[in-house]
Amino acid sequence: MDRIIELEIPARPEFVGIARMAVGALAGIRPGLAYERIDDLRIVVSEACTSAIEVQERGATLRLCCIDGPKTLEVRIEAPAAAFESAFPAGPSVDPDPEPDSFRISLIRALVDDAELRTEPGKTELCLVLYRDTGSGDDGHTIGQGYG
Amino acid sequence: MDLGLDIKERNGWAVLSVQGEVDVYTAPQFREQLIQLVDQGQRSILVDLEGVEFLDSTGLGVLVGGLKRVRSHDGDLALVCTQRRILKVLEITGLTKVFTIYDSVEAAVGATNGRG
Repeated sequence: MDRIIELEIPARPEFVGIARMAVGALAGIRPGLAYERIDDLRIVVSEACTSAIEVQERGATLRLCCIDGPKTLEVRIEAPAAAFESAFPAGPSVDPDPEPDSFRISLIRALVDDAELRTEPGKTELCLVLYRDTGSGDDGHTIGQGYG
Repeated sequence: MDLGLDIKERNGWAVLSVQGEVDVYTAPQFREQLIQLVDQGQRSILVDLEGVEFLDSTGLGVLVGGLKRVRSHDGDLALVCTQRRILKVLEITGLTKVFTIYDSVEAAVGATNGRG
């Protein structure tokens, strides 16, 4: 059974640490994610929140929804306007120039199993998924395979 | 969330030890410190990351910015890092090929004298 935990934070730099701390703590509750993978998730949440904050107006908030299921941990980060462009560009992959945006893209690609950007009028949602190691070996996912 | 920044002089190197979490909130302090070091004339900077508990792309941007700045003055910026979690971030982003990375401050200082 999925457990859903929601967190809303002001879209300001000082709250990014709270977001990754909360998501990291949640990820460790249920077995199936190694400590290293939880560390990966903390980095990706930090990257996503930072990307969203960069384009938000003063007073905006970010809403994080964590769906904690037996096979996956899904983190949805919702921002009220166009966001995540520096984390999840709509265009083709960029060359890895040594610049922060390309670092962000490389990290997200490498550290989550799946990612999807959903855009609706007035809001954008970045969905990040980690597959738990259930021990059955039959779920068809290789941990750390990344997306893209 | 505080970032600890401590500077020591070691055999011609300016050793900047960083403690805590480096992210979008704390990175400006880190960036400012590196800029100050270069502006003060330091040309051999060693950033000790052993006390860093978290580092994301914002922190990587500060390191690359510092490297560009000091190289523009014919200097260099190297790292001390043995933490797997930090090395992983550097490897994914290709920065292990950009920075010289030492196992310890002593190893860096012993390997080469800073150019002061």
